Amino acid sequence: MQPAVVVTGIGTVTSIGIGREPFWDSLLSGLCGIGDVESFDTSSYCVHRGAEVKDFRSEAFVSKLDRNCIGRASQFAIAAARLALADANLDMKTLDFERVGVTIGTTSGEPQMIERFDDAAVSGALKSVGPEFMRFYPCHVIAAHVASELDIEGVNVTIPTACAAGNYAIAHAFDVLRAGRVDLMLAGGSDSFSRITYTGFARLGAIAPEVCQPFDRNRKGMVPGEGAGILVLEPLERAVRRQARIYAEVVGYGLSCDAHHMTAAHPFGAARAMEKALSESRIEPEQVSYISAHGTGTPTNDRIETLAVKRVFKDAAYRTPISSIKSMLGHSMGAASAIEAAVCALAIFHGRVPPTINLEEPDPECDLDYVPNCARELDVNVAMNNAYAFGGNNASLILRKIEA
Amino acid sequence: MVRRVVITGAGVISSLGDSPENLHSALCEGRTGLRPIKLFSTEGLGCHLGGEVASFSAKTYLGEKNFRPLDRTSQLVAATAEMALDRSGWSVEMRGQHEVGLALGTMFCSVHTISQFDQRALVAGPAYASPMDFSNTVLNAAAGQTAIWHNLRGVNSTIAAGSASGLQAIIYATELIRSGRSQAILAGGADELCFESFYGFNRAELLCGSNHSPGDFPIPFDKRRNGFALGEGAALLVLEDAELAAERGASVLAEISGQGGGFDPSRATDSGKSIAAIARSIRLALNDAHVTPDEIGCVSMSANGSVPTDRNEAAAVAALFGERANAIPVTAIKSMLGETLGASGAMQVITLLEAMRDGAVPGISQLDEVEDNFPLRNASPDTQELDLSSGLINSVGFDGGCCSIVLSRCE
Repeated sequence: MQPAVVVTGIGTVTSIGIGREPFWDSLLSGLCGIGDVESFDTSSYCVHRGAEVKDFRSEAFVSKLDRNCIGRASQFAIAAARLALADANLDMKTLDFERVGVTIGTTSGEPQMIERFDDAAVSGALKSVGPEFMRFYPCHVIAAHVASELDIEGVNVTIPTACAAGNYAIAHAFDVLRAGRVDLMLAGGSDSFSRITYTGFARLGAIAPEVCQPFDRNRKGMVPGEGAGILVLEPLERAVRRQARIYAEVVGYGLSCDAHHMTAAHPFGAARAMEKALSESRIEPEQVSYISAHGTGTPTNDRIETLAVKRVFKDAAYRTPISSIKSMLGHSMGAASAIEAAVCALAIFHGRVPPTINLEEPDPECDLDYVPNCARELDVNVAMNNAYAFGGNNASLILRKIEA
Repeated sequence: MVRRVVITGAGVISSLGDSPENLHSALCEGRTGLRPIKLFSTEGLGCHLGGEVASFSAKTYLGEKNFRPLDRTSQLVAATAEMALDRSGWSVEMRGQHEVGLALGTMFCSVHTISQFDQRALVAGPAYASPMDFSNTVLNAAAGQTAIWHNLRGVNSTIAAGSASGLQAIIYATELIRSGRSQAILAGGADELCFESFYGFNRAELLCGSNHSPGDFPIPFDKRRNGFALGEGAALLVLEDAELAAERGASVLAEISGQGGGFDPSRATDSGKSIAAIARSIRLALNDAHVTPDEIGCVSMSANGSVPTDRNEAAAVAALFGERANAIPVTAIKSMLGETLGASGAMQVITLLEAMRDGAVPGISQLDEVEDNFPLRNASPDTQELDLSSGLINSVGFDGGCCSIVLSRCE
């Protein structure tokens, strides 16, 4: 019998709040973290909006490593990890650090390091690039920095599966825990605002000019963002023994690949990830109380995602509330699905689900219950967290209420 | 009931050969793939040596197709996947009926593609950046492109753990098969040789000759060693649930019988902690395989010519093997291939598969004199004849991550 795995700590760094409580309050009140991009000059771009984390102070979180050297994604991940550990009320002295692991998903790793390299290269000043580039650029440094800061010695993996990466990292942590290889995992995702990512989405015409309005008939695109979300995961038995607050149980997941197109999603792949997750969790679609949508706000994603949900849920699709928090905090890339997994756990724990804001005019092709504009009280027994990515990488995660 | 994981096919493209057999015979002859780099200019840099896959052309492996959407890393992976799938018998028809996954380890995917995309936007303006290139700037591009190419609709994961990425991806895939989530996964890794990573390693003084020491000696465990040579390539294995492999009558090359991993939070700045982490990885892998060190026939070392890392790995192996440290056969293929980063772990596996097949374990090319008090006395430049039924494979990153697997012959 494999051990049940539960969420006992939540740490979030987002454009609408740092730390679980401020973040959750902002989500329920429908706060929007989108503004004009400040981290680089967008005057030569046709779009200017982004969801940056404005008031992040790395000195509040990074103490062992040199915070001036490590990249922003590592700083976010360390902050989210420390917040999650504090939230889990863990006595670190009781941990066997060889049996604690870290899995982090990311889209871009530490993009600002290669952007600096490129700035130097085009201005003929490549010599100004020093050893820091190789020490702090490769994406695996994010999980390594978290472990190094916290003295963690177990499994250490970064999973760069683009915009679904957070779910992949949580899924892997779930497997490692169930196999009994560790006692506790820090799992989630982190990404920093990236010029490269912004340029790419701008060239695809995917960035909205003003606001992000998933599932609205007049939606104009996604808004790039940044942040981190990390969960403390541990076996149920251990959590009960130490009388931890348990947010929810992770019951299963499904991964699939479209094998169709690098950037255009396909509803079959998304549906297969949901079906695998449901089947492994032994949960019928009717039992799902809430779906956290990938919901980027691009015309195609929201239409395809709606189709995929209907394909799996049939009639139950119309009775299952589904919302996109990307309407508020933009698309935080590899961190997004980890932050959304935290939202699923919080929805289960608090009995409330966050809204999809900016949803004014229904789209005939998106005709489900997207929890428009206002948070809702809802007894959430089972929540499904969907994420889709470039490369056709799909990941669905299922969380469930723990019976008291 | 834990499922057993077996290897039913392998593919490799390296500086020393583009099949497991070619690579192995070159390694056993002690040939080197390290030469002055031609892919880009190394003028003004301390190191000029690299392990290039010379004149690689994807159409040799994949036919006359449109390769424009795939960058060099993706082409290497797609071509290698073709070879591994073909050899394991996973035909196009079978892949249509059955989900095959892909777990790809990579350190950079393509930092060259990323950098070129960004530089074009900087020089010409963001309106001139290529949307097609953008889809290759994501770190899972090679895995996604290869899935499209070969219709791999199962799990598709990219695994990053520095130069240990490839072995870590194999461990990741093993876990998925053991837990029953997947039945067949292509697993391994790839990295290309490009200016951006070469420049970075050079500036970090990790390459041979880059730290102002005279000469290029990327020779694992040698007294003269002064850093590694950067290589490139791709290597993939088909991992499969043993029951499925038996059911479909596939030929089984070996079993992955144990795995382990660890992390050194000092990130290799404290050699005691580094040795402890590597030793723990090995111990976990041996325990997982239910074997003692005495049952291991040979160790494929991660050693690449780095001064501290090679020493730490040797000390960890010695600690585990005790008195037998003097006698255990060891090989270090990076002496001839250079550090191929994401590809390296799977290349090491392929070398041991070949050694199990033909009984020859490559020596450590050009190893002349080991450092004082070097514990692994059986390290030698000569190829050894061995009847190998199990081997240990280590992958040690330069900054704290490490993992190991045990490979066993299936009777």
